[in-house]
Amino acid sequence: MIAYDFMYMQPDTLRQARENFLRLSESGQNPVYYAGGSEIITMCRAGDIRPGAVIDIKNIDACQALSLDEDWLRLGAACTLNRIKESGLFPLLGLVCGRIADHTNQCRITLGGNLCGSIIYRETSLPLLLADAKLILYGARGRRALALKSVFDGRMRLQPDELIVEAQVPLWALNAPYYHMKKTANEKIDYPLLSVAALLYEDQLRVACSGLADRPLRSKQVEVALNRRALSPGTVAAKATALLAEQARDSVEGSAAYRLFVLENTLRSLVEDWHDEKI
Amino acid sequence: MTTAIDKSIQRREAWDKVTGQAQYCDDLPAAGMLSARLLTSTYAHARLRSVDIAAAQALPGVECVLTGADCPQLFGPLLQDRPALARDKVRYAGEPLALVVAVDEPTAEQALRLIEVDYEPLPPLLKPAQALERGAPLLHGQGSYKKVLEDIYPEPGTNIASHYRIRKGDSQSVLQKCAVIVRQCFGLPPSGHLAMEIRTARAEITAQGQVLITTSSQSPYSVRKQLAEAFLIPAGQIQVKTPLVGGGFGGKAAVCLEILAYLASRGVGGKKVRLTLPREQDMATAPCRLGLEAEISIGADQNGLIQAAELNYYLDCGAYTDIAPYMAKAIAVDCSGPYQIANLSCDALCVYTNHTYATSFRGFSHAEQTFCLERTLDMLAQKCGDDPLQLRLKNAIGPGCTTPTQVAYSAGLIGDLPQCLEKIQPLSCWDGGGVTKIKPHTVRVKGLACFWKTANPPTDAISGAVITFNPDGSVNLNTGAVEMGSGCHTHLNQILAERLQLSPDQVHVVAAPDTQVAPEHWKTVASLTVNMAGRAVLAAADDALSQLRVNAGLALGCPDAEIEIAAGRAFSKKNPERFIPFKDIVQGYKSPAGQSLGQPVIGRGSLMLKGLSLLDPYSGSGRTGPDWSLGAQVVEVEADLRTYTYRIISASTAMDVGRAINPELMRAVIAGGMAMGVSLASRESFAYNSDGIPLKPNLRTYKLMHIGEEPDYRVDFVETPEQGSPYGVRSYSEHGIIGMPAALGNALSRAFACRLNTLPLNPERIWRAATEGDS
Repeated sequence: MIAYDFMYMQPDTLRQARENFLRLSESGQNPVYYAGGSEIITMCRAGDIRPGAVIDIKNIDACQALSLDEDWLRLGAACTLNRIKESGLFPLLGLVCGRIADHTNQCRITLGGNLCGSIIYRETSLPLLLADAKLILYGARGRRALALKSVFDGRMRLQPDELIVEAQVPLWALNAPYYHMKKTANEKIDYPLLSVAALLYEDQLRVACSGLADRPLRSKQVEVALNRRALSPGTVAAKATALLAEQARDSVEGSAAYRLFVLENTLRSLVEDWHDEKI
Repeated sequence: MTTAIDKSIQRREAWDKVTGQAQYCDDLPAAGMLSARLLTSTYAHARLRSVDIAAAQALPGVECVLTGADCPQLFGPLLQDRPALARDKVRYAGEPLALVVAVDEPTAEQALRLIEVDYEPLPPLLKPAQALERGAPLLHGQGSYKKVLEDIYPEPGTNIASHYRIRKGDSQSVLQKCAVIVRQCFGLPPSGHLAMEIRTARAEITAQGQVLITTSSQSPYSVRKQLAEAFLIPAGQIQVKTPLVGGGFGGKAAVCLEILAYLASRGVGGKKVRLTLPREQDMATAPCRLGLEAEISIGADQNGLIQAAELNYYLDCGAYTDIAPYMAKAIAVDCSGPYQIANLSCDALCVYTNHTYATSFRGFSHAEQTFCLERTLDMLAQKCGDDPLQLRLKNAIGPGCTTPTQVAYSAGLIGDLPQCLEKIQPLSCWDGGGVTKIKPHTVRVKGLACFWKTANPPTDAISGAVITFNPDGSVNLNTGAVEMGSGCHTHLNQILAERLQLSPDQVHVVAAPDTQVAPEHWKTVASLTVNMAGRAVLAAADDALSQLRVNAGLALGCPDAEIEIAAGRAFSKKNPERFIPFKDIVQGYKSPAGQSLGQPVIGRGSLMLKGLSLLDPYSGSGRTGPDWSLGAQVVEVEADLRTYTYRIISASTAMDVGRAINPELMRAVIAGGMAMGVSLASRESFAYNSDGIPLKPNLRTYKLMHIGEEPDYRVDFVETPEQGSPYGVRSYSEHGIIGMPAALGNALSRAFACRLNTLPLNPERIWRAATEGDS
């Protein structure tokens, strides 16, 4: 139960959405952009946030794109995880989406919501970071296109009135060999103790992970370490893990030491698979 | 030939449940009701400097705000130690300290946020060992509680709420001389019941002073008793109704919400009030499953024959006792497991901590106690180089043995463990507990555990049954037993139909007990319902049969001794071609000439348990329950030795159920227990931070096993009839859970070659145990 009244709006265009947002902000309504709602509803119910208005962007066509053009796969911010998974267009992202929450919630949670949410895992960012994806944002200067990594350092750095319209993924990434491993405390569906995604680009392994630290991360140093083909999988996994040792976090789901153990195992199995040409 | 037992008839309420038509307490219309909400403590242990309710009271739509100052009484079934709303002090995070009644839930919720509480934090006690230390703060002062029952032994000046002892033979000197000795410590965390139906209660007080409670409870008669005693209301003015309960597992045996709902209604002049806990409060505020610490020492000779055992158990009962002293007693009563241990010493202490308070949980502390004992037995088997099954077989309790409380063994009373061990072997494909490599880093291993359990009702526990007839000759059965998924209404239906020689369809069990209508049944707990209410049903059936014979005799013009009853008809034994259907004699008999003969038939039966005793405070001798049930269980895992992860492949149970009067239903209820056992052993715990605040306060973070993760459940029965119980059936509905955590612990300890001494058994725990020694 959400114990207070709030306003709900469903604009048809990006312009309307932003105008509503600005107007409601000025009048002190503390609005939020809303897509799937899984996180906003939960947090309102628990009393953690108290927006006076929600602006539902699901009706905006631009946010619902899911198509291939000559250079890019375009993924609207309001696409649900399940839609992305079932489209089969970006296998690694589909695999990651299919391992977030349960099916019911995959039909609700959206790509934009997962990237912008306050729950720290934001696992959809992993394939997008590896693919050098772009984001199309809409804000004060209208649309702007930016590399994801320039506005995402583990969490989205948007202007308050800005929203994600879509993500654009270069076509090479859709067919690139990939790997994903998600480990939880002991449950099929849970937040990740560790979620590791990898993509092969020009015979180089790209790796990003979520769950280890307090935000998703992709580290150049780690990738350099893992790509030293002359060394054994065990050795490079140990070296790469050592580079991240200080970032590992403790939580009720798992200790930092255990996360690092899981990370090392996972990286070793990833590199083994790569060396054995299984990915 | 049987008409209704030994058949897999469907649950009587199956169609209502699968179509969603079944009505649980909170499904009943709530129009015109006020809503109540609880403000709960954010500290595990703190003095309440002030609770300022002025702003909440001033909110439009708020009808009343109550705090501890409004209810001086203390509650508890054994020790009265718990205030309805915290007074002066809070003793666990989640403890209710204020209650708002408002026109609707949102208003009540908003009002809660306006209450200002000024806490003075106190250091929390989070483990029994810590609470037992010399100089530990006393959670209940110098005994600020009142004993309700005789056999509760609080130790004033300590945090010990009760203490039970077993002394049999000479454990100390025999243990020292044993060829093989295993000593091991254990620590198991508390966890939740997590019934699908959250707890809810409604109350109203009529202008005549009649108190009406509708509640999701396993013990409506205890609700009546506790309200009557605490608030000095004549018990007859209290009416408690219980619709279908959506899972209880012991968690709805405690009287808790009903007291708050009553206070809420009283606070608004008797108007109807509904109090439904949100899931987060159902987990942190309502009573939970116990935690347990233990030190186990077992000694055996070179052949693995157990000579002596010393067992110390420290039950973490949390902030208040509720039924926990009796869970400590239950541990003592069954402390040896189903084995012959001639020299035995056990101390079971119930200890206060600043956790959510504990209440009964499926298995009544046996799953926890069994984990400690059966894990130690596996260590013993390993030390002796024995097959774990053979070790248990040669130590199995049998003729000539006595239980820890010195009750003499008979197969009828206790059951046949060797037969269960015989049956579990083909069922589980037992292979001696060996490690089978199936891939370079993957092994398959089976773990075994045995269990037994008797019950701990009050020595004067009662039950009753009334049967009436319908014009079609069918029967209505009215008892005080609550249906919460354990199948008791279906079993009672079968028992009555069998005795009356009717088909089960001809029996209608009154679905929702009402204390004003149904004869008192102690509580729907302890898996005793089929035994106790079943015996009352048999007595009522016999009573009805004798009345039917009289009516039939009058109708057929022969002495009632010559009447035989079968298939819904009364026959003359001498002339079996002469018969009369029930429908013509159940309301008396009217002759073709219009003459009225006989009387309408109303069967009544009742039962008070006999032959039970309090335990001797020093030796522990005595008898607490009408019978035992025992069995053997195996869990098979596939373990990845590199990652310390595992998958549970299968879980098997061979249980002596006395008589499988409904094989499919019994299989399902036992498998349900096994599923709970697997879930709590592999992933469930209430984790607390060092301040005693729950770290997994909701179902996003607290994990239960889900559909799709279930192993293959296999159940087989041994049938050694219990003399006193209806058709020989034993208590069985809780028992599927009991050995599961131990069997899983044994399998994983073997797979990873480490000693796993705690729960839940998640990969991190195993990794720690395997790399650092004990977990």
